[in-house]
Amino acid sequence: MFPRMIAAGWVLLAAPALAQIGNPGNLAPDTAMQDAATPAPHQRNAHDTLSYQLLAAGGMAEVALAQLALDRAGSDELRGFAEMMVRDHSDANERLAALAEAANVPLPEGPDPEHQAMQERLAGLEGGDFDLAYIRGQITDHQKTVQLLSAEVTGGQDAELQRLAAELLPVVQGHLDRARDIHARLAGISPAVTPAPVARPDPAATPDPAATPDPAATPDPGASPDPAAASPAPPAAPAAPETP
Amino acid sequence: MPVHRALAPICAALLAGAQPLPAAADPLPPDTTYRPLPVMPPSRAHAIDEAQKPAVMARQRELLDSRYDLADRPLPGAMMSGGTKPVQEGVRVRLPEGQDWDSLAAMTPAEIRDGDLLPQGFLPLPHVKQATGGQVFPQNQIDRIAAQEQRDLRRFDVDFDLPDHLTPEFPPPIFLTTQPHLGDVSRGELLTIRNYYEIMNGLVTPVQMEGLRLLLTPFPQEEFNQTEDRKVADPSLGVACLDCHSNFHSNAAFHQTPDVRPQASRFRLDTTSLRGMFNQQIHGSKRSLRSIEDFTEFEQRTAYFNGDHVSATRKGVHLPDRANQVAMMAQMQNIIDFPPAPKLDPFGRLDPTLATEQELAGEAVFLGKGRCAECHNPQTAFMDNQMHDLKLERFYKPGQVHNDMATLPDGPIKTFTLRGIKDSPPYLHDGRLMTLADTVEFFNLVLGTGLSGDEKEALTAYLLTL
Ligand code: HEC
Ligand code: HEC
Repeated sequence: MFPRMIAAGWVLLAAPALAQIGNPGNLAPDTAMQDAATPAPHQRNAHDTLSYQLLAAGGMAEVALAQLALDRAGSDELRGFAEMMVRDHSDANERLAALAEAANVPLPEGPDPEHQAMQERLAGLEGGDFDLAYIRGQITDHQKTVQLLSAEVTGGQDAELQRLAAELLPVVQGHLDRARDIHARLAGISPAVTPAPVARPDPAATPDPAATPDPAATPDPGASPDPAAASPAPPAAPAAPETP
Repeated sequence: MPVHRALAPICAALLAGAQPLPAAADPLPPDTTYRPLPVMPPSRAHAIDEAQKPAVMARQRELLDSRYDLADRPLPGAMMSGGTKPVQEGVRVRLPEGQDWDSLAAMTPAEIRDGDLLPQGFLPLPHVKQATGGQVFPQNQIDRIAAQEQRDLRRFDVDFDLPDHLTPEFPPPIFLTTQPHLGDVSRGELLTIRNYYEIMNGLVTPVQMEGLRLLLTPFPQEEFNQTEDRKVADPSLGVACLDCHSNFHSNAAFHQTPDVRPQASRFRLDTTSLRGMFNQQIHGSKRSLRSIEDFTEFEQRTAYFNGDHVSATRKGVHLPDRANQVAMMAQMQNIIDFPPAPKLDPFGRLDPTLATEQELAGEAVFLGKGRCAECHNPQTAFMDNQMHDLKLERFYKPGQVHNDMATLPDGPIKTFTLRGIKDSPPYLHDGRLMTLADTVEFFNLVLGTGLSGDEKEALTAYLLTL
């Protein structure tokens, strides 16, 4: 993800990465300090350890699920999303693994039972059914990840992991926004989460306010070029509860 | 669409999407909702906190300086209602390089977002130490309470972060709805548990007096209590309601919202004034509690603004009796008036024989092109008893972390009253704006009202009359 984010101005956004400063009450009692105020590198508390486990298992699952999606997805938009998942999560997984190695934290070898169950369920679906089930699962997953990353920022003590969490948070939030948007289109929820701006006739160019613009000339947002529209994905039941 | 085609996807969707949560799904870790118990021995945590403090304060100052011009520049001729502190002038939010307010106002929200051009001072303001959070009092309050009550409101881990000239006058005046002929009854004093009787006897009823006593009585609170996760040197007697709402107004003490988790997402809260509570139907920027009684009872119950009855119970909880104590506390709060606004008529409109041309022009903008009155209705104390989502996130990419706070959409927030507004900087629920001129630029951008320079100046002049 990072090359793309950099291109999008990510570097400009980030203030100089100021140190994370946690609540010392929540440092592990055996924390080695680098100076009176700062834990030594890779010192962690229970929250960090848990973050490593959950983020690693979740990250692996994202890649595996996205690969399944690349195989099955009916909609081009969803394929685009799955490609982004593979790219971004592979990158994040590598960075997490490198940090875990430096901090000497063993990581899980494969996805957790929750993601395994999801993978099995998805494996039995195809076309529009697959698309909807996949994207709904993605919404829940990314909701959880956003909360996890956010909790690590203030709850952990491993500064490098906290910085990674802070860096990933806007990216994962972006994934969540995109997943909600795709879901809205696949499920026929209107308007989508981020409706495309409607091109309006330039008022300056139409001096006569009474002249009604030709409705055909105003692109209908619902009919805007939507790769999903080409796929067989049908409008689904009114937003089913978001459960994986 | 033929029925079978319509139904098939629905069934599939139900199967795929609406199955009961698999038993294997784990909840998020408990400390995403609950406050973890500290595990570091308190003496060591204390020492680390003290050692961290200079970096904590430097980091916050850097953020504030990058977002705002914090200089002391009083607005000539404009004093707060007690006459002891000048109102500050000018727009203090810094502009992004190469932009001015007009060029920004001419862009679409998406252009501002994609160009990363939203002035950073418009973003949610982090707590000085987001990871710990909690109540932070300004030095003037700490000093007064230490002198009068020998009670320590000083935290060892953080200090107050805004300069004194950008906070309300201290102690602020007190106006009573029941004694409008007297004017400010504070005698220039800060009400405390030591002096309240002398100052208020003869002015209030026995019921109000008892309510006042309770509002001035300290009770244990998250950072001010006896347990090992307090942030005061000695076990603390706690905090009183009016430690933040000094003289029923605000001293700009800040905290974090009780209503959001995890901790990194909790936004900062600037203490609101309790003036004019009698006219307000919803309470709290997010919770929309429906009565002053509910608010009062609940804040005591959850140790003031942590939304956490679990932790409060451990530290010592006060359960005021609804009929006998809460009612009295509420009745005392309900006689606190707004400061006088001599130029307003009974409809909340400017009296044209008293107001200047510029103020009248500002009122016209407020009611018309600026659309302010659509939410801040003059006839209902310049509010609408609603919450509104200003959707600021149209202008920035959410999720960025600033000083350990996740910058996220605010969602619906209560419309605050604008009566007496010149007395209560900083502005918005988190105190992210320093002056009224800042609020005018903020709303002009967010509402897309396209006000001219003259219109904005007139609007600012008008806000001072309220
Ligand atoms: C840490 C300082 C602090 C203390 C102590 C405190 N408050 Fe507040 N008060 C605040 C803040 C901050 C808000 C805004 C809350 C919000 O926006 O959700 C507030 C809001 C209120 C409101 C609602 C105002 C509105 O505009 O909706 C009432 C009423 C109130 N407080 C009463 C009390 C009472 C009664 C107590 C004692 C039980 C108390 N407060 C203790 C800071 C404090
Ligand atoms: C859509 C409803 C709406 C409109 C229109 C509106 N406001 Fe507000 N106003 C709010 C809300 C909601 C808040 C609280 C926002 C927050 O704290 O995040 C607020 C807060 C304020 C505050 C700060 C109050 C305080 O106690 O900190 C000022 C000042 C203000 N508005 C001025 C204006 C002006 C001037 C205009 C017109 C240019 C205007 N508002 C238009 C809803 C509105």
